[in-house]
Amino acid sequence: MSTEPFRRLVKLVARAFYDEEIPAKGPNRSKSDKSDNRGIAIVILDALTRRQWVKEEDLARDLKLHPKQLRRTLRVLEEEQLVVREDHRETVKAAKAYNAAIAATSDGKPGEQEKEEKQKVHTHSYCCLDYAQVYDVVRYRIHRAKKKIKDELEDRNTVQEYVCPNPSCGSRYSALDALQLVNPFDQNFHCERCDSELVAESDKLAAVELADGDGDDNARRRQREKLRELLEKMEIQLKPLMEQLARVKDLTPPDYGTFTQWEKKAIASGRIVSSNGEVPELKVAHGQGPTGTPMPFLGETKVEVALAGAEDSKEHIKEEVAATAKVLPPWMIRQGMNVPTSYSDGRHEVKTEEGLGLANSTALDVKPVEDKEAIEQKLKEEYYKAYYAALLQRQQEAAQVHTVATVVTDEQVTTHGQEIATSDRQVGMKSKRDEREEEEEEVEWEDASVSGGLHAVNEDATEGGLLEEQTAVEPGVGDEGDDEEIDWEDG
Amino acid sequence: MFFHIILERNLQLHPRYFGPHLRDKLVSKLIHDVEGTCSGRHGFVVAVTAVENIGKGLIRDGTGYVTFPVKYQCVVFRPFKGEILESVVTMVNKMGFFAEAGPVQIFVSNHLIPDDMAFQAGDVPCYETSDGSVRIQKDSEVRLKIVGTRVDATEIFCIGTIKDDFLGLTGDPGGAA
Ligand SMILES: [Zn+2]
Repeated sequence: MSTEPFRRLVKLVARAFYDEEIPAKGPNRSKSDKSDNRGIAIVILDALTRRQWVKEEDLARDLKLHPKQLRRTLRVLEEEQLVVREDHRETVKAAKAYNAAIAATSDGKPGEQEKEEKQKVHTHSYCCLDYAQVYDVVRYRIHRAKKKIKDELEDRNTVQEYVCPNPSCGSRYSALDALQLVNPFDQNFHCERCDSELVAESDKLAAVELADGDGDDNARRRQREKLRELLEKMEIQLKPLMEQLARVKDLTPPDYGTFTQWEKKAIASGRIVSSNGEVPELKVAHGQGPTGTPMPFLGETKVEVALAGAEDSKEHIKEEVAATAKVLPPWMIRQGMNVPTSYSDGRHEVKTEEGLGLANSTALDVKPVEDKEAIEQKLKEEYYKAYYAALLQRQQEAAQVHTVATVVTDEQVTTHGQEIATSDRQVGMKSKRDEREEEEEEVEWEDASVSGGLHAVNEDATEGGLLEEQTAVEPGVGDEGDDEEIDWEDG
Repeated sequence: MFFHIILERNLQLHPRYFGPHLRDKLVSKLIHDVEGTCSGRHGFVVAVTAVENIGKGLIRDGTGYVTFPVKYQCVVFRPFKGEILESVVTMVNKMGFFAEAGPVQIFVSNHLIPDDMAFQAGDVPCYETSDGSVRIQKDSEVRLKIVGTRVDATEIFCIGTIKDDFLGLTGDPGGAA
């Protein structure tokens, strides 16, 4: 299943909510560092969409960021529930394991491996995008924002609050207290404690200018306009994000598990992939492809098997996967590709994705398994086909040879139902079917229909009229069929 | 909303009423005691419609008063959130206006009054549209929707809105009189 929709979602989220300076959060941030970190979150999130679990130091190096700066931003993103982070105290061995995992997932960078080997026991932080969480968090965020504006706009927060302007008192009242607050002399609301006149409370988004006494109504109108504008703007600006959310809705988000899980999985799959490349027979089978599609790059593959095995075998396995995917029902493919087109288009997308070099993460994780599965599935398919063919033949034979009453009536009933469902030329269909049936049966059938017609209101038992009756009373079709059956058995 | 329910109450009767009209006296006392009261649980008792059952009286020590348990049917009015009521305005101020629907008092705050109506201070304070076509003042008839209730043991107070379709002024003070 493609992770692309989710990656796109993260990118949109980054641009929608994190393109500003990331506000200082938490007390641990000193006021002195006012470095301009505008847009860094976007860069980091984008980079993370291309990776799975990644060591923060590596990420910092790749992005040419100071590790501290990176960590600061990541911490914010963690707080916002977009990113999961894990700290691991590691020995050299553990670092190796990580490198192996990275090599397995990103076509290997042998140079780095040696560099890392010199490290001693260290605490390393790893981070990864939590796609499922991102989806939820973003939806919740948008929901809250919209709700706040809409409530204010429609005055859904209906119980107006009143506060005492007296700074030494500051009592709060709600509209439900109104009866007690009314002053019998000037009929305004007065504080029960200090008797100063109350002011309507407004802790609202666009209520800045409401404070200046007399222009109350104008202020209110302006405020509503402002809110409406705000809501409109938000809808427009978040539209692509909303669309992406809708698109992603029914897809399973990529899940890389915890760091340790991911590491194990990645190493395991990496091993199998490389060994896979060394088996020439498999290769050939892949090259031809189960569908027999020509693959122009096949020749090169043969030469480079040993060296660039990972890359090329991946290509083939992708093809293989795609081919097996053909067995899947079409709705499934469409969901995964997120493109409402035919299967072949979906496959193209798989290829282009590969070409772009966007990490083909999920596919990688399951590849070796899927490879075996592909073969197994093919075998199963063949078997099923043969089995069903045999079964069908048998049934046909049985239908022809056996003239057992029940079987035939059953068939009649079903064909009858089909007639009604599919065509309006009932009479023609019937005669056709009658031709197929033996003559004696035809006679019996006609008898049956007559008796069935007696149940109906109309008594003229010409065949055409009768059938019209039957079609007219559609829900009764089954009943009539039963009647017919009984009558027929009687005959 | 109105309900027809059966309630029970203990009535204390002075010994001087003991005689041929005891039952009548009990009923009239019941009506006098109960009608117009409000309980948070059942709402306002509007009218007693029938006395179901009067139990045996119990003479109270020392006083001579007798307590009768009385079961009676009555109509109660209990306002609910979301309910639409017809009401009469009783007071207008710059924070909104008060109205009455039978026994219930309702306050409509100014932010639940349509935006095209503005408060006009003066001899007769009112809320008025800029063209003066709609004017809500004391004794105007207003249809409103209850958006909040405050239910105490012995009283119910509501806040309402006229900021919705088909709500607002339904009759001018002249019509009401
Ligand atoms: Zn006060």
